[in-house]
Order: sequence, then C-alpha cells, then structure tokens
Amino acid sequence: MNINYLKKINFLHNMKSNCYLTCFLFFTFFFKISTAQITQIKGFVDVSSSYQNNKVSFGFGEQDLFITSVLSDKISFLGESVFKFSSTSSTSFGVSIERIIINYNLKGNNNLILGKVHTPVNYWNDSYHHGRVFFPTIDRPLLFSANIIPLHTVGIGLQGYDLGNLKFGYNLFVGNGLESMEILDNGKNKSFTAAIHIKPADKLRLGMSWYHDVISKGATVHEKLIGSKVNQNLFTASVSRFGKKMEFLAEGTTGVNHTDSTGSKSTMAGYLYAGYKLTEKLVPYVRFDALQFQKGEIYYDQNNTTAFTAGLRYEINYLAVVKLEYQHRNSQLLNLTNKITVQFAIGF
Amino acid sequence: MWSLLPCSKLLFFAAMLFISVIVKAQETTLVAVGNSSSVPSDMKLSELKAILLGEKQRWKNGSRIIIALMKTNTMIGKNTSSRMYDMTGDQLNKYWLALVFQGKAQAPNFFSSTNDLENFVAQTQGAIGIVDKPIIDGELRGVLVNGQKSF
Repeated sequence: MNINYLKKINFLHNMKSNCYLTCFLFFTFFFKISTAQITQIKGFVDVSSSYQNNKVSFGFGEQDLFITSVLSDKISFLGESVFKFSSTSSTSFGVSIERIIINYNLKGNNNLILGKVHTPVNYWNDSYHHGRVFFPTIDRPLLFSANIIPLHTVGIGLQGYDLGNLKFGYNLFVGNGLESMEILDNGKNKSFTAAIHIKPADKLRLGMSWYHDVISKGATVHEKLIGSKVNQNLFTASVSRFGKKMEFLAEGTTGVNHTDSTGSKSTMAGYLYAGYKLTEKLVPYVRFDALQFQKGEIYYDQNNTTAFTAGLRYEINYLAVVKLEYQHRNSQLLNLTNKITVQFAIGF
Repeated sequence: MWSLLPCSKLLFFAAMLFISVIVKAQETTLVAVGNSSSVPSDMKLSELKAILLGEKQRWKNGSRIIIALMKTNTMIGKNTSSRMYDMTGDQLNKYWLALVFQGKAQAPNFFSSTNDLENFVAQTQGAIGIVDKPIIDGELRGVLVNGQKSF
C-alpha cells in the first residue's frame, strides 16, 4: 500500500516536473517569438459628466485597447478592441472587435488590407477611430449616430497614400456589407468602397468617396428589420485643414436608398467644425450638424435634426485632453435639447 | 531721470544680445545618420522631411524605413521637432500617435541618448536617425543632406 502510495507521489512529482519543464520551454519559445517582432499596446479611455434636464450625470466611455505589430518587412498587424457599456449584456459591458487589419505592403506606400476596417468613407471615420483624445469635439458628428455612415466593413482592399506631388491617397475595399456578421456574409451582395484624397497644400486634405451596398429584404441592420430590398449609394466629400492656428473640417454625405416600393430617396447629412488655437493648448471650437431626410425614406429613421455645438478644448499634453462643451439640438423626434458636457480623455 | 534712459537702453540691448546668444546656442546643428548597408549616402532635404513625416516609408529597394529620433524632451529632440517637423515636441508625439492609430505608419524609435540612437541605427537595417554630432564608424553612415554634412 505504502509502496503504491510512494509510486503515485513519485509519478505526480515527475509529472509536475515535466509540466514545469514544458511550461518553461513553451514560455522560452514564446518569448523568442515575441522578441523577434515589434509589438506595441496602447489604450484610450475617457470619463465625462453631463448636465441635461436639470440633472447631472457621471459616466465613462469606451476603453479602447490598440495593438500594433510588425511581423516582417512586408507584413504588419493592427488590432483595436473596445470594452464598453452594453444594456443588453448581463454584466452591463460588452467587448467588440473594432478593427483587425493584416497589412501586406505591395510597393512603396501601396498596401493590401485584409480584415475588419473602419470603412474609409470620410475623414472622421478614417482618422479618429475610437481614441477620444484625438477627437476635436467630445462626440462624433450626428451622421454617425444616425447610422448614415457604415462604420465597419469586413473584407479585402487596397490602400495607398502620399503618392506623387499632390500626396494622392486611395482606398478600394470590397466587404461583407451592412446586413452581414463579422464572420459570414448573410447576403450574396458585397459592399464596395472607393475613396480618394489629395493634400495639395500643407495640412490641407480634400477627399471624396463612393460607397455601394445592397441590403436584402428581411435583413436586420442596426437592430432594425428591413422590409424591402435596399440599393444604397453614399457619396461623400470632405475638406479638412488643421493648421497652426485654424482648424477646419467639413464633411457632407448624400445617401441614396432605392427600393422598389419607394423609388430613390435622398438623405443629406453633414457637419462643419471650426476651431482656433488661442494658445498651443487652448482651442475654442464650434460645430454645426444637419441631417435632412427625404419624405418616404424607409431605411434610415426619419429624424430631421440640426445641432449647434460650442466648446473649449484644453490639451494638457498629447495624451490628456479636457473638453467642455455645450450642445443645442433640434430634432424632429426629440424636439429641443440642451446639454453641457465635460470630458477628460486620455491615452495610456 | 533723463540720464537713466540711455543706460536702460544699453541694458535692454545687452539683455537681447544675451538672449539671442542663448537661443543660438540651443539651436545646435543637426546631422542625419543611417545604416550604411541600406541607407543612401546623400539625399535632398525635402526627401528627408518626407521620410521623417512618414510620407515616404520605403527605400528604393523596397525595404522598410525605420526612423530613430531623440526623445522630444531632449535638446536635440526639441530641435528636430521644430526644425524638421515645424512642431513642438507634444505636437510631434501626437502626430505620430495619430498616424500609427490610423494604421498608416509604424512609430519612430525614440532615444534618450545619442549613443543609444547611433547604436540602434548601426545595428538596424533601413534605419535613419537625427543627432547633433555623429560618431561615424562601421555600420553607421553620415548622410549628406542637400550636399551638406549638417543642416
């Protein structure tokens, strides 16, 4: 009995030693792989407080984890994961993969892009992503919350930038489209994005894009059941200039949704942002948003809206920004709203 | 009181001269250094600026350009920010963070000492960096910019 017991102990001891050895070898191997590449992790988060309807609220925004890795001279990776409040989750929080990009350099500044991207339809969506510390205002322009901009696309594309004297850039992307999941296209149709931009002068960027998608009848998009097949075309133009003193960004999108029953309905949406650097750190700014839906539009929620925003941005350093903002919004569904918000956004 | 005026003018002139001498002393000349096996021995200033801004990311042979800079809180880093980027150190850091976040470039490598920077450039293929007084040997090469050793 004792001999068996000792054998068992010896066996467990050997097994434990082997386990340690395996772990040691695994971590040694993993460490070698890890050190053979350059991986960086960054994060972004913000806390805020708002005053609306005679009530003060505190809150915090998305916690954004951002990873980049250079795997070889030609291949690099970018990942962006967000932890954020979710009312439908049992833990009140949800995790979402915002970007997964495998980048293969073709030649010069021309790349092949695979994975999930922020659809490069306009400057904001292609430049700021989820890091609030970069946003010139506290929140995104209203055409994002109105679901006019297709935020993400999963697919394959080509990207080029800073080509020639005009610093020409382009994006061509084929993806699963709006009605699809991250891992499977629910319909046969693919979305197409074609975007171009130039930088003809210092810090000035002019861009335009076309986005096409077909949403099948019965699909669910933005938690809304689509009753008819929708043929969607988005046309976007943008001008931006972030100079030493003046900051200016204007973008406009025309969304044309065609269904057999309603014909083509056009939605006009856009915003205009202007800021002035009083000092290197202090920037007062204004933004005007407008959403105008054509009568009979069935794909978007018809909610004609205008909003005026005025704020003050204080950049403590490049990783810490405080913004104080007042917004007056007039919308068809919610009437007049006034809101004061203060936000502290950081990068870490 | 009137007799004090020329004296105060003189003091003001002397103070301005002193400040300008200090400012001049702080604006040291810059030198580009590169890995001798992959970085060209001369280039135009416009090309160097395009490289440092992340607008040009590949050498002619297709290999990746790796940028090495002094940290923006060092004197050389401050000079590099203002003279090569026309930015403050904070603006330079934000510029690169944004570019990396957009997935359009890989961040430069920042160093606290010129020795560390030069060692990195010497040991890294495709690396180019900015220092004040290079120690050229082995794999480290001084890069002529517009035909000049320094700029």
